[in-house]
Amino acid sequence: MYVKATPTADLNRNTEWFTYPGVWTTYILILFFAWLFILSLFGCSPGMAWTLVHLAHFAVTYHCFHWKKGTPFSDDQGIYNRLTWWEQIDSGKQLTRNRKFLTVVPVVLYLIASHTTDYNNPMLFFNTLAVFILVVAKFPNMHKVRIFGINADQ
Amino acid sequence: MITIPYLTALSTYFSYGLLFAFGQFRDFFRKIFDWWNSTTDLQGYAPICLGLEDFYTRRLYLRIQDCFGRPISSAPDAWFDVVERYSNDNNKTLIRTTKKSRCLNLGSYNYLGFAASDEYCTPRAIETLKRFSPSTCSSRVDGGTTSLHNELEEYVARFVGKPAAVVFGMGYVTNSAILPVLIGKGGLIISDSLNHNSIVNGARGSGATIRVFQHNTPSHLDSVLREQIAEGQPRTHRPWKKIIVVIEGIYSMEGELCKLPEIVAVCKKYKAYVYLDEAHSIGAVGKTGRGVCELLGVDTADVDIMMGTFTKSFGSCGGYIAGSKELINYLKNNCPAHLYATSISPPAAQQIISSIKVILGEDGSNRGAQKLARIRENSNFFRSELQKMGFDVLGDNDSPIMPIMLYNPAKIPAFSRECLKQNVAVVTVAFPATPLLLARARICISASHTKEDLMKALEVFSEVGDLVGIKYFPAEPNKQHLEKCTTKED
Repeated sequence: MYVKATPTADLNRNTEWFTYPGVWTTYILILFFAWLFILSLFGCSPGMAWTLVHLAHFAVTYHCFHWKKGTPFSDDQGIYNRLTWWEQIDSGKQLTRNRKFLTVVPVVLYLIASHTTDYNNPMLFFNTLAVFILVVAKFPNMHKVRIFGINADQ
Repeated sequence: MITIPYLTALSTYFSYGLLFAFGQFRDFFRKIFDWWNSTTDLQGYAPICLGLEDFYTRRLYLRIQDCFGRPISSAPDAWFDVVERYSNDNNKTLIRTTKKSRCLNLGSYNYLGFAASDEYCTPRAIETLKRFSPSTCSSRVDGGTTSLHNELEEYVARFVGKPAAVVFGMGYVTNSAILPVLIGKGGLIISDSLNHNSIVNGARGSGATIRVFQHNTPSHLDSVLREQIAEGQPRTHRPWKKIIVVIEGIYSMEGELCKLPEIVAVCKKYKAYVYLDEAHSIGAVGKTGRGVCELLGVDTADVDIMMGTFTKSFGSCGGYIAGSKELINYLKNNCPAHLYATSISPPAAQQIISSIKVILGEDGSNRGAQKLARIRENSNFFRSELQKMGFDVLGDNDSPIMPIMLYNPAKIPAFSRECLKQNVAVVTVAFPATPLLLARARICISASHTKEDLMKALEVFSEVGDLVGIKYFPAEPNKQHLEKCTTKED
């Protein structure tokens, strides 16, 4: 019922909230409730609903983790203005537990979405594209890499 | 180590997610609206705010702005007048009225009760005001050193237990202007992860490499020191020129005392300097009010640099640094806050001298000892009563600061506004001053709070706590209540 929260040594207010207990569960619960919400709103098949959740998840997480740079506060004087959220998390250390979890979630969503749509074609193409982009963006070799200068600074 | 109920953690994340999503939504519409109605006379100028920088202020802070920055119109004694404000545009702007409400003050750092008129300190401060005028209008080295300043520095050095001291006009500046003078490029600053913003700014301004250790964990400090000394400076791997470990006496957001004996032992082992910031603990803890060193039994000769402020227990303004004679001499010759900034105001200096005299008993009465005993009793009583009621209260025994955990973002304005309706003024703190999950209401107990004040506060908190739902732990059954029930049945 009770969990222990130890204060971390991470000074970046933008990412240190991710190290506290309960984040992973909240993330998974938000995805699950989004699926129920879409099912009740559109009345489509469960497979379509999972595909919609997967694609919406792709759009939101790509925008928040890999596109937006910097932090929503000005007190840190812009130290992180060139880094996306993914590059800031865990102070830039690669292959930590949080990063592995965040890489696995889109893959699991992809598998659920493709399985429940029976690997049928228009959905399969979009799902595969989404998971490919997300997983490649999270590779350790892509740390601070800007392909073709997209999203680079002025 | 804070214990949170799991469901509360989940609901807090969900609430922040919702607030963030709504904020982004409104920003999106704002962008479309501005593009549609663009009146750009400012073509070619760079934007003032870059991107998301002010998102938190605009979309989260402004919604509950009426809970922060409330103006007061009397001295911050145990009871004070809070000016009422109203808003016509949903808290974006707040308009002051001329009405005031008399509220119980649980937010001011008034630990020994010197914040209001005192029978010994105030006449002397007024006399100094008439004799020396409100400001010296000069920096220390030009014409701003009066006999008061020298007397003050001697008193502070004697009070704290060090050979010499230097006094500055502002507490924040003391940290942020001294650290760059003490250490530069090629040095290493290891600071506690929850250190105050003044220390963070001073450390950044110094140019030294900064490393952080887990809050109040001497074992982690040991491993960080070990690793850093073994690796040396960042690219050249040469040995560090100097290592300073910066810690605070009482952490103002947690109410915890630092583990000073263990940290001093670790620093001695690795030959690092210790910088102790006693902003909240000087004058408030310890048998004679000499701070955390006295309370925890650490010899002041082991702490190399002791810093403190006069704003909390002494009812004045300014800060000091105490250390060896050579150190203070060096600082006086090199610190820009001493060479260029205006010296501390003479009535403020006299207030400090008088309050130190009262604390030490040199004014001929034992009011100082009474105040110290009262603040200790008040803090321990209040904390134990709150814990018995089931609140999640942080902080160690004997510490006059007690944060009550709120967690959910919606409970912050709810608690604050409900308490204000019942004439109790509390300070609530949220992200980003605290970690995301751990929003709290911070109570500061004073020696001028009487037992009745504390009982009223406890009643109000109990009622508001039930209304808002922050009694996260099971309440201990009240023995008196049980006895009353059994006698009624008979």
